[in-house]
Amino acid sequence: MTHPFLEIRGIRKEYAMIPAVRDVSLNIRKGEFMTFLGPSGSGKSTTLFILAGFQDPTAGDILLEGKSLLSTPSQHRNIGMVFQRYTLFPHLTVAENIAFPLKVRRWPKARIEAKVAEMLRLVRLEGFETRKPATMSGGQQQRVALARALAYDPPVLLMDEPLSALDKRLREEIQVEIRRIHQQTGVTILYVTHDQEEALRMSDRIAVFSKGVIDQVGTGEELYANPATRFVAGFIGDSDFIDCELRGAAGGKAKVALKDGLEIGGIPLHGEGKPGARVALMLRPERTRIDPAGASGGAIPAVVTDITFLGSNVHVATETETGAPVSVRLPFGHPSISALARGQKVGLGFDPAEAHVFS
Amino acid sequence: MLLNFDSLGSWRWVLTIIVVMVAAFLLLPIVFIAALSFGSSQWLIFPPPGWTTKWYHDLFADPSWLKAAWTSLRIAVAVSFLSVLIGLVASFGLVRGSFPGRAFLRGLFITPMILPVVVLAVAIYAFFLRIGLNGTVAGFVIAHLVVALPFSILALTTALEEFDRSIEDAAVLCGASPFEAKLRITLPSISHGLFAAAIFSFLTSWDEVVLAIFMASPTLQTLPVKIWSTLRQDLTPVIAAASTLLICLTIILMLIAAAVKKGLKK
Repeated sequence: MTHPFLEIRGIRKEYAMIPAVRDVSLNIRKGEFMTFLGPSGSGKSTTLFILAGFQDPTAGDILLEGKSLLSTPSQHRNIGMVFQRYTLFPHLTVAENIAFPLKVRRWPKARIEAKVAEMLRLVRLEGFETRKPATMSGGQQQRVALARALAYDPPVLLMDEPLSALDKRLREEIQVEIRRIHQQTGVTILYVTHDQEEALRMSDRIAVFSKGVIDQVGTGEELYANPATRFVAGFIGDSDFIDCELRGAAGGKAKVALKDGLEIGGIPLHGEGKPGARVALMLRPERTRIDPAGASGGAIPAVVTDITFLGSNVHVATETETGAPVSVRLPFGHPSISALARGQKVGLGFDPAEAHVFS
Repeated sequence: MLLNFDSLGSWRWVLTIIVVMVAAFLLLPIVFIAALSFGSSQWLIFPPPGWTTKWYHDLFADPSWLKAAWTSLRIAVAVSFLSVLIGLVASFGLVRGSFPGRAFLRGLFITPMILPVVVLAVAIYAFFLRIGLNGTVAGFVIAHLVVALPFSILALTTALEEFDRSIEDAAVLCGASPFEAKLRITLPSISHGLFAAAIFSFLTSWDEVVLAIFMASPTLQTLPVKIWSTLRQDLTPVIAAASTLLICLTIILMLIAAAVKKGLKK
């Protein structure tokens, strides 16, 4: 029987009886870029710290190539990690920082020197050997931290929101760098972030954390097109939710009624629900259609409340007659835009197969 | 800033005068002592009628002064070393530990700074009398440790709190044992705190007189005790010379401390 490369099996972690991680299980493939995405307090960082060995789980196990890691102390796990805060050793130079894990492993001097040079090439910081961390920018420091964490060729690299302290432009630049380094080294990366754009840009797969459990695991496309829960739908991509009543469900498709009685059928249903139950209809702003002529033929009647120009697209905020805010995103230059004005009555339409109903 | 010196107008002069007077009040006694130690008058007349280095010759010719200085130095070095060592272990416990009564314990360690030294001295004297530590180097060291430790603990808990724990965690994940990580990463990173603790502990012991008077025996005296007891027997400018040397060493240590601090910031 073949084992998954890295297996997180039923991890639970409680602090003073309050669970920070309820029940997390996940298999990670070798060489995969897996992102833990979720808001703060969702348990993603705690799971990462348990992998690093800084915390012990209350229950569950972690297996690397079939062997449990839990009884191995942090220093012998041979795992690399880049932290949220700058953790370069302040009294050592860049080269000494990268050499530190190798010196601890008692590598011969010549081999250490060659590896340090190789790592500096990898993170494109040649010539910084003798610099002290305090003289470098945040982005440079995190690149050195990355070089230090990869110097001893760890099978797994953990990254705990390493770019959260950097400004947006620098962040995007280093995201590309990390992607390149991942492809170049083939290391398995577990990356924690609360930034959905960062997760979508970098990951092979994303595990969405919410309240101590993983709501859904999948590629960015899967999560966007087929969110399993209302939370995932709200976290990946933009979405609007309209309260409605479930009228019937068959074959995974729901028929719902809006508050004003308008019935729409054939919408994918997530979760269970009996007819009469209150459910949420989810629409994506970029998939919702807007008809400036008003509601007709099953469209949802709404009023335009605001129109905002955002460069490549135009954001139209509307409110349905039942009071739910729904936004519509139109590409710049779309013929409908010139026909829209604030306060105008419009009709909103969507393809039922692309919408979702969450119980 | 709320109070800008440049925008104070004529108040600037008032402020300047006050600062000059405070500085003079603090520094003039030291200047007087130094001047008197070079004065030719045996009765410490100011201004000195002439200048001489006679008192320094007398000082270095008298073995009891040298012996007192040597005793002071040995005790201060031992106090400094032990104070940093104990202070470091205590600070790790106070900053990193999580146990009931941690805040209380932290306060308790600082109390010798607030307690009247003479009260401490009487208590330690009575206790040492029982166990026979009075008049011994060990007695001096332990008594001075009581008043030096708060400085160490204050300096080291502050340094440890400013030090980001993640840096030590990173070292452990790099493969260093928790002890090795502390030794090779944490301690060098808080070296300014270690220096401050060592120098303040040294100075606390070096010029401490109240506890030392209680601990001293006719054969074992520190420099401040020797100055004090000589002063009671006869008034001689040798005391001024000894005091000047004491002050000089203190100033040198403070300068080293300042230089180290500046060097570490770079």
